[in-house]
Amino acid sequence: MTVTNAINGLDNLGQFARFVFRSIAASVESCRKSATYPLIWAQMNIIGVHSVPIVMVTGAFVGMILAIQAYDQLAAFGAEEHLGVLINISVVKELGPVLAAVMLAGRIGGALTAELGTMKVTEQIDAIKSMGTDPVKYLVAPRVLACLLLTPFLIIFADLLGIIGGYFVSVIHLGINSRAYWTFSASGVELWDVAIGVIKGFFFGAAIAAISCYKGFTCKEGAHGVGQACTEAFVASFISILALDFALAVFFKAIYNTFWPIKALI
Amino acid sequence: MVAEEKNNQASGINSNGVIVLKNLTKKFGEKLVLDDISLSIEKGKTTVIIGPSGCGKTVLLKHLIVLLRPTSGDVYLDQQRIDNLNEDELNQVRTRYGFLFQGGALFDSISVFENIIFPITQHYKITDWGEIDALVKNKLSMVGLDGFQNFYPAKLSGGEKKRVALARAIALNPELILYDEPTTGLDPIRSDVINELILKLQKELGITSVVVTHDMTSAYKIADRIIMLHKGKILADGDADYIRNHPHPVVQQFIHGQIDDEDLLILQSGETTSPSQFVSQNSKK
Ligand SMILES: Nc1ncnc2c1ncn2[C@@H]1O[C@H](COP(=O)(O)OP(=O)(O)O)[C@@H](O)[C@H]1O
Ligand SMILES: [Mg+2]
Repeated sequence: MTVTNAINGLDNLGQFARFVFRSIAASVESCRKSATYPLIWAQMNIIGVHSVPIVMVTGAFVGMILAIQAYDQLAAFGAEEHLGVLINISVVKELGPVLAAVMLAGRIGGALTAELGTMKVTEQIDAIKSMGTDPVKYLVAPRVLACLLLTPFLIIFADLLGIIGGYFVSVIHLGINSRAYWTFSASGVELWDVAIGVIKGFFFGAAIAAISCYKGFTCKEGAHGVGQACTEAFVASFISILALDFALAVFFKAIYNTFWPIKALI
Repeated sequence: MVAEEKNNQASGINSNGVIVLKNLTKKFGEKLVLDDISLSIEKGKTTVIIGPSGCGKTVLLKHLIVLLRPTSGDVYLDQQRIDNLNEDELNQVRTRYGFLFQGGALFDSISVFENIIFPITQHYKITDWGEIDALVKNKLSMVGLDGFQNFYPAKLSGGEKKRVALARAIALNPELILYDEPTTGLDPIRSDVINELILKLQKELGITSVVVTHDMTSAYKIADRIIMLHKGKILADGDADYIRNHPHPVVQQFIHGQIDDEDLLILQSGETTSPSQFVSQNSKK
C-alpha cells in the first residue's frame, strides 16, 4: 500500500516536472511571438488588476497588526521608537510577500484550477488539441507569464499598504514620534530587503500558476473532480510558497553573507 | 461464427486505409477498455461505430486522432505511424481532421462566431475579415444556425451547441471528420438534417467520416460500413444489410433496442410499490 502510494507520488511528481518543463518552453516561445500578447494581456487583467484591492487590504492589516503586537514588547525595554524597523522589515521581507502570495493562491489559483478543470471535464482541452493547437501554449503559458510578471507588483502594493498601515497605527494610535519612526525605519531597512521580497514574487507567482494549471489539466471527472482539484491546488500552492520561502531565505542569506564583507569596498 | 467474424475483419485490414489501427489495446489503470482492435478506415467512406454506452466508442474515436495514446498497438495515418509522434508533430497532423465532441466542447467564454474562427485564427493570419464573416455564415447555415454568431454557448440548447460544434469542426475544411454521437439529443428532423449534412460532405467533398452513434436510423442511412463494439472487441463488421441480418443475439438486441432476457427477468420479478404504499409503510416526517 505505502509502496504503491510512493510510486504514485513519484509518478505524479515526474508528470508535474514534465508539465513544468513544457510550460516553461511554451512561455519562452510566447514571449517571442507577438500574436500571443493579447492572451497574456487578458490574463494580466484578470489575474493582476482584479487582485490589487484584496492584496492591498491584506498588506494593510499585516502592518497594523504587527504594530499593535510588537509595541508592548519593545516598550517593555523602552525601545518603542524602533517599532518602524521591526514592522517594515517584517512586512517587506517576509509577511508582505508570503501573505500576498497565499492570498493570490486562493484567489487566482482557485479560479485557474476551476476554469481549466471545467475545460478539461467538458472536453474543451481535447477540443483545442483536436484543432491542432497546443493547450499548454494556448492556456498555460499566458497564465504562467501573467502570474509571474504581476505577483512582484502585487507584492509591492502589499508592502506599500503594510508600511502605511503600520505607520498609522504606530504614529496615530500608539503616539510614536513620526520623525523617529521614519529615521529608524530608514536606517534599518535596506533596499536589499525590499528587493528580496519582490524577487520572491516571481517564484511564488510561477509556482501558483504552474501548480494550479497542472491540477486543472489533470482534473478528474465531474463537479466533484473539479472541487477536489481546487482544494489540492490550494494546498499544494500554499506548501510550495512556504517551502520556496525557506529555500530562498537560505539562498539569499548565503549571497548576503558573501557580499556583505566587500560592500564597504564598493 | 467467431471464425467468420475474424475472416470478415481480416479482409477489412488492407493497409491502404486512411487510418489504420493495428492491435490497439487501451487500459485505464487496470480497466481494459479496448482489447486488441485492428481496423482500417477506408478513404471517402462513412464508417459507423455502434455499441452500448460505456463500451469504449469515444475512447476508440479519440485514438484515431491520437487524443489518447494506445497502451499497446499502433495508429497509422496514410501509412505513417502517428501514435508515437510528439505533441508538436501531432498538431500538424491534427489540422487534417475535424472532431465533433459528444458534448460539443464549445469554448464557453467566447461567442459562437469566435468559436468557429478559433481553428482558423490558430493556423492562419486573418487579413480579410469580410471573407471570414462569409465563411462563418456559410458554415452556420450548413447546420441551420445562421444568425447565431453573437450568441454565447451558455445561451444555446444542447442540440444547438452540438450543431455549432459541427460548424467549428468543418471550419478548416478537413479531409477526415470524426463525429461523436452527432444526433444524440436532437429531435428526429434535426437529426436527419445532420445525416444529410454528413452524406453531403462525403459525396461532394469526398470526406472520410467516422461516426459514433447508437441512433440506428442514422446509422443505416449514412453508413457504408457499420462496426459494432462489444466488451472491447469488434463484434460485427459489415454493411447495413449484413448488420441487420447478423445472427449474433447481442447484435440483434442492440439494433432492435431490446433488453437482455436476464435483465428482463430481474425487472419483472421485482415488485413495484406505488407511492401510496410507500407512504403508508413509512411514517411521514
Ligand atoms: N480518461 C479516462 N480515464 C478512465 N477511464 C476512462 C477514461 N475515459 C473513458 N474511460 C472509461 O472507458 C469506458 C468507455 O468510455 P467511453 O468510450 O466514453 O464510452 P462510450 O462508448 O459511451 O463512448 C468507460 O467505462 C469509461 O469509464
Ligand atoms: Mg461516448
